[in-house]
Amino acid sequence: MTSMTVQQAALSHRLAWARANLFNTRANAALSIVALLVSALVVYLLLRFVLFQANWGLVAINWRLFFIGSYPADETFRIWITVFVAAGLVAVTYGLWGGRLRPYMVALGVVAVLMLTLGLGAEWRIEEQRFTEEVRSESGETTTVSGTERTLVGDRGWAPSWLYAVSLGLAVPFGTTWVLLAAAFAVLMVGAWASRRLTRWRRNPIVLQALGAAWVLIIPLAVVLQIGVSSTHWESAFLDLMVFAVGGVFSFLVGLLLALGRTSPYRAVRISCVTYIEIVRAAPLLVWLLLATFVKDEFGPIGSAFSSIDIVFRVMIVFSFFGAAYIAEVVRGGLQSIPRGQHEAAEAIGLSAAQKYAFIILPQAISAVIPALIGRFIALWKDTALLAAISVVNTLEKAKKVLGGQTDIAEGAFFEIYVVVGLIYWVVSYLLSRMGGEAEKRLRVGVR
Amino acid sequence: MAKENRRELVRLEGVVKRFGDFTALNSVDISVQEGEVVVIIGPSGSGKSTLLRTINQLEQHDEGRIVFDGMELTDDSRTLAKIRMETGMVFQQFNLFPHVTVLRNITLAPQKVRHMPQHEAEELALQLLTRVGIPEQADKFPGQLSGGQQQRVAIARALAMNPKLMMFDEPTSALDPEMINEVLRAMGELAASGMTMLCVTHEMGFARNVADRVVFMDEGEIVEIGTSDDFFQNPREARTKLFLDQILTH
Repeated sequence: MTSMTVQQAALSHRLAWARANLFNTRANAALSIVALLVSALVVYLLLRFVLFQANWGLVAINWRLFFIGSYPADETFRIWITVFVAAGLVAVTYGLWGGRLRPYMVALGVVAVLMLTLGLGAEWRIEEQRFTEEVRSESGETTTVSGTERTLVGDRGWAPSWLYAVSLGLAVPFGTTWVLLAAAFAVLMVGAWASRRLTRWRRNPIVLQALGAAWVLIIPLAVVLQIGVSSTHWESAFLDLMVFAVGGVFSFLVGLLLALGRTSPYRAVRISCVTYIEIVRAAPLLVWLLLATFVKDEFGPIGSAFSSIDIVFRVMIVFSFFGAAYIAEVVRGGLQSIPRGQHEAAEAIGLSAAQKYAFIILPQAISAVIPALIGRFIALWKDTALLAAISVVNTLEKAKKVLGGQTDIAEGAFFEIYVVVGLIYWVVSYLLSRMGGEAEKRLRVGVR
Repeated sequence: MAKENRRELVRLEGVVKRFGDFTALNSVDISVQEGEVVVIIGPSGSGKSTLLRTINQLEQHDEGRIVFDGMELTDDSRTLAKIRMETGMVFQQFNLFPHVTVLRNITLAPQKVRHMPQHEAEELALQLLTRVGIPEQADKFPGQLSGGQQQRVAIARALAMNPKLMMFDEPTSALDPEMINEVLRAMGELAASGMTMLCVTHEMGFARNVADRVVFMDEGEIVEIGTSDDFFQNPREARTKLFLDQILTH
């Protein structure tokens, strides 16, 4: 033990831990070895698929379709502004909270490399060949069929393409996109790093209020920025995010009101809230979406007003009111967990009913149900997949179109395409889950 | 003592409070003068807490009149707001707000109800924390404090609204024995400063030494009221004697 370095000490500590916990009995040792072999096999198969077997070409040339679909290229600045504002906001919030950066930098770094790997851009291209063919029908006549045959050509080996992409300065295949993405990533990291050092801001009420206001305003900002782009151009992941963001915000607000309504001293209010919740929850979201799609003008002024709204906004309304019913029940659970004494103490010091709920009851009720609340938001996000069933072009529907439109070159890539669709849902779900976890950790501070 | 010449702060006349079939207060009459310290004792379920809670209207009385500082309590929201502003209450279970700091527990009401600027409210909070002996705990959360410290914060929180009447609902019953004295000391100092106080407590030492008058309640009624010397030395009612025997001879 004379001249052990820190690394050596840490290693020997880990080995000791493994010996004590994984290999302490024969049965345990056998179990550990089996588990190790199985995980090695899984990792091997996964890597083999990702690196050598998978045909990422179709994904690589269609990145744009997955993210923004056929959104007009000249207008993408509207989306980028939202992306940059969001990156800045997340960075400052996370930094002020003293959040650790390294795990996210590593994770995002891995994702970036993977994307570049999948990007493979320059190596892939579609070759179109005109062809003419003589077809003999059963009756013996010959007809000439001509068309375009499209083939995807390129090297599927990953290393050369990856190096090529890097050497071109990330400029292919969507030069600006990569540069802007990298810039947003830089804003995130530098912002968080810098604001982590601004410890004095952490308790400054003006800074905190401004930050809160910015968070409240970001989704309206994202929507306002879209004025001028018809919602018929909203597609793919961008559409899903918009529906989720707007639906999420409104379902939270309406859900809060419903939950409070259920505890109202007025019987009529209580009964209306319960009735609403029970009716909305009783039918599947898909059915509500179909009803909203085929709503008839004849249902009086409300029906005709509703049916005249563009389908994307109708979907947002359905998401808001559907999500609200579930969130109301979650929040009600939180409200019920607050002891009577908190109400009495708040009343005894003279707070009005509104002040009591705003400063004492709701903050505690909501932080008590964050895990369930995040669960609801994740479910709402994944429910956007249902839009494919009413022919709104969400990520899933776009993926199907990508496959459908290019079946001749998509051969064997169905699985890969759906892997990417799954990844898009997963990334957002995971971020939501992490945000919830962080919020839970920080809000726990004061709880006994 | 010239307490009789003082102004009357609270008067209850024939106050009745029912919970379903159970009558918690059965025609209660009592008057409290400004600056007076009144201790209420009695067996559990006798209506002591309910009496306090009707005064700041955490429970609305069903019959009778309650007059506070010349204002009769009705279900009008203005009288409700006023009575809550001018009375402070300390609970058995402290009921501090666990999600905010000790300082914020105290500054919340002055800032939100009295519209006091933040720095002024914080200055006041620190003064009050010093008064109850724990200024160094200002930035902690309630859960990080001992029971005795939490109860002293609760006293400071109630005092922050500068109330005319302080009510204590068994403030030491949930405390470990070694922490009872620090809370009683804070209450004693408050009494010495001239605060009008209504205390429900089982601390007979406090009743004897600090109270001007002692009230004995049983089954929703006031059985006996007397100056603290009188009350302990010559209780008139049989029920009072029995109760005092039971609690003083263990």
